[in-house]
Amino acid sequence: MAEAPKGLIGERIPRLEDDRLTTGRGRYLDDLTPVGTLHLRFVRSQRAHARLTAVVPGEYEPLPPEAIVITGKDVLGLGIQADARVVPKVIEPHQRYDDNRPTELDPAWQSSLQPALAHEVVRYVGEPIAAVLHPDPYVVEDAAEAVSVHYEDLEPVIDMRGALAADAPIVHEGWRDNVFIRRHRTYGDLKAARERGKHTVRITTRTNRQAGVPLENRGCLAMPDATGRGVVLWTSSQMPHLVRTYVSRALGIPENLLRVIAPEVGGGFGVKGHVFPDEVLVSELARRLQRPVKWTEDRVEHLLSSIHARDHAHRLEAFVDDDGRVHGIRAQIVVDAGAYSVFPWTAGSDSGMVPKVMIGPYDIQDVEFEDIAIATNKSPLGTYRGVGRPSATFSIERLMDTVAEQLGLDAVEVRRRNLITEFPYRAANGLLYDSGSYLDTLNKVSEELDWEVARATDQGGQRYRRGVGVSVFNEQTAHGTPDFEVRGTPIETGYQGMRVEINPDGTSVIFMGLQSHGQGLETTLAQVMASELGVLPSTVKVVHGDTGNSPYSVGTWGSRGAVLGGGAVARAARELRAKVLKIAAFRLDVAEDDLEIERGVVRVKKNPSQLRTIAQIAEIAIRRAAKMPPGLAPGLDALAYVDGPDRGTFSNACHGAQVVLDTWTGRVRIERYVVAEDCGTMLNPTIVEGQVQGGVAQGIGNALLEEFNYSDDGQPMSATFMDYLMPTATDVPALEIHHFDSPSPWTENGVKGMGEAGAIGPLAAVAAAVSHAVGAQLYETPMQMERVFAIQEGDVPEHLTWEYWHECPRLRGFWDDF
Amino acid sequence: MKVRLTVNGEDREVEVEPRRLLSDVLRHELDCQGVHLGCEHGVCGACTVIMDGVAVRSCLTLAPQAEGTTVLTTEGLGTPEHPSVVQRAFKTEHGLQCGFCTPGFVCAITAMLDDVDEMDDGELREALAGNICRCTGYANIVKAARRAAAERDESDSVIRQGGGCCGEQRGCCNG
Ligand code: FES
Ligand code: FES
Repeated sequence: MAEAPKGLIGERIPRLEDDRLTTGRGRYLDDLTPVGTLHLRFVRSQRAHARLTAVVPGEYEPLPPEAIVITGKDVLGLGIQADARVVPKVIEPHQRYDDNRPTELDPAWQSSLQPALAHEVVRYVGEPIAAVLHPDPYVVEDAAEAVSVHYEDLEPVIDMRGALAADAPIVHEGWRDNVFIRRHRTYGDLKAARERGKHTVRITTRTNRQAGVPLENRGCLAMPDATGRGVVLWTSSQMPHLVRTYVSRALGIPENLLRVIAPEVGGGFGVKGHVFPDEVLVSELARRLQRPVKWTEDRVEHLLSSIHARDHAHRLEAFVDDDGRVHGIRAQIVVDAGAYSVFPWTAGSDSGMVPKVMIGPYDIQDVEFEDIAIATNKSPLGTYRGVGRPSATFSIERLMDTVAEQLGLDAVEVRRRNLITEFPYRAANGLLYDSGSYLDTLNKVSEELDWEVARATDQGGQRYRRGVGVSVFNEQTAHGTPDFEVRGTPIETGYQGMRVEINPDGTSVIFMGLQSHGQGLETTLAQVMASELGVLPSTVKVVHGDTGNSPYSVGTWGSRGAVLGGGAVARAARELRAKVLKIAAFRLDVAEDDLEIERGVVRVKKNPSQLRTIAQIAEIAIRRAAKMPPGLAPGLDALAYVDGPDRGTFSNACHGAQVVLDTWTGRVRIERYVVAEDCGTMLNPTIVEGQVQGGVAQGIGNALLEEFNYSDDGQPMSATFMDYLMPTATDVPALEIHHFDSPSPWTENGVKGMGEAGAIGPLAAVAAAVSHAVGAQLYETPMQMERVFAIQEGDVPEHLTWEYWHECPRLRGFWDDF
Repeated sequence: MKVRLTVNGEDREVEVEPRRLLSDVLRHELDCQGVHLGCEHGVCGACTVIMDGVAVRSCLTLAPQAEGTTVLTTEGLGTPEHPSVVQRAFKTEHGLQCGFCTPGFVCAITAMLDDVDEMDDGELREALAGNICRCTGYANIVKAARRAAAERDESDSVIRQGGGCCGEQRGCCNG
């Protein structure tokens, strides 16, 4: 399918969405307030784990008039349940629906219902207990204050290892232990690998809890429809159709009575790629009360109770020969998934992703993994840019650096010896890599960093020390339906659909179920359409995120919008172009092959003065159908669906960081950051670079600053921007970006996804650079001053030791079995 | 209570409770929904507006404090057809992605535009560090500020349009 870039593909055209967004004309969720709206405020749990003995509105101060209070018993059973089904152990390259359809609940899985409002038990601080409604958005806050909650404390489960202890309190009554799911996968022959590699290298890593934190908080607004039975739901979401399907089921109403609209969305990053219990609740209340109901989150609520991310502890063991060639890897992955399983990814998504991607760009065929998702009394863990990959890359890259150190080899050289160089490549777990430039990107970054010189610099004795480090990774993107079929999660499909139409005046519209929340999709898709059709991008409008007018879509996430959405637009636009040519050929009395379309004008190639504009053709097709060629149906619209390649397409990149460490304080500043990336054909390099820069900034935040902390009794300690430190303009350098281009043979135009890659590399690259500067390996993120300083002083925290985790009997078995 | 202020060139009067935030009044009573709220506790800068020529956080300002002032929001600086020099520069330099932080940055940069040339990159980044952007990684925002400063002319100076700095009166800047 791959073909050379053409037309506007690859052009740096300015973004179409910017005029409205820079001048304040974009309309986000909180900008919408229909007449008669009731504002909703949640009363949230202040305890991590407790039995609710009473919820008393107006106990100490009177409720304001007109206030309505809804508690858990009013909406019993309403909530979110995301279960995991059986997953096949090995993914065959073309495994499809009828091969091995997993329909059974995984016997290892333990279910959790996340209630819309807690009833009887609360399981994390911030869990909603009551919903208070009032027409005045200020008064509703007073009203919420007037609701008293009585608790009877239960012992909370906060610490990951503690959750696995034999006598641990149990987060969900009736569970056998605090494990959502535990999976074991082996590929190849580990015993043989151990014989080939006589050195055993072991590391323990920890990527602490963080959050995606789009700048616009979440929110939703539901309004009863004219029938009184249905609802229109506006929600700040990345997946409006999935919200429609799930919420309509939860409400027990037909799906065509629920219309879901995602207005302008102020950043998503995966955080808004869930169906939340609040969306169910707000819709239900709008139906019951027959009034618009609106809830917008404040920042504290967002940090407390939307979705957290990362929170992994890994242990890795590698069998390595004298040359630094890694023959086999065993890894145990523990993820703190919080109190509930999130829809549609389930609580096992982060832990499950790691075995899938950890080996990534390396040619290692003998591997064994155990991944465990545990339940604790913390906010639920969900998806955030990269999902599991930043932690997986952190671990494998820290392993490569440790191998180099222990064998006295160069860290880049060790990577070179292990990287995949021939494509297509079938990974041990069945993933099939299409194409890539793993070695080239590594070579480019090490050349830019002047690697040998930089590594050889004597660090001794000075206050400020420099360090350099690299990380290499690949990223599965735009995976198709077969890849979801074998995951066992409530996401079953991987396609995208697009409907396009030309209006009578020659302008055109793309209707998409994808959501544009900053990635520039309006521009890139208009660019694809304009390219295929032969019109100016400024004449193409993109309508997004409205289930009322777009084909079904699983939403925008997983770096798939440009690849699959763009692919579907290309196909639909091609169909339109063919029809335009047919009509023009008939009117101009020439053969279709004699025509070309450029800038909205169809001309006879040999006689350019003979022409029809697309507007004239559209007028014929739509309004004056009598002039159509005989037998051709009127109208100019088209619908196309594109499914992703079976196992997706694989982008790759190498990140290189140069840092300066202040040895007196442990403070790290990033001086240079080099990226060599390969996402196949770029649709719009400006947008690609913007995505990379933005992703890296988030990765740098993850590497150095962002951490969501809890006290020992489960109280959140990072619930405002004063405590949860976001990177600002002084923390993130301008990137030096270099592009490589290995087009995918499996996608339209050779495009590969690139939305997440920027956020995947920085943890490992910065850690390598800081380790170089410190002169000791760091295995934990974020690398805040105190942590760096401690390692520099030789203090290794207990939880970074092998023994700390090994003491837990539930974790030891995996290693003893071998 | 009644509050009178000039917003984007128009004299307005609103009846508010004293506790009401300027950000909410601008957004909900005065139709300036380009004023965005990212944190409501003064850290993210998304709610930044220009009050009497000075960038202020409207989420930390009570509506009564705006009595008698002249307030500019991003809507008042330019329109999609006629964007201001700063708004134009954001587009040219790809200084925005989701656009949620953008009105705050536009106001903050507009208010400091006359000084941008004097700042080195470190100082400029320091000056921008009061606003959080989750999408762009800032590099293009820095470029946008530079470009706007290079391309501006007399008519783009809101400090002048806004009626000058109040200096000692309000004690919020150095005059
Ligand atoms: S909303 Fe005012 S500073 Fe964040
Ligand atoms: S552009 Fe999204 S927060 Fe700045």
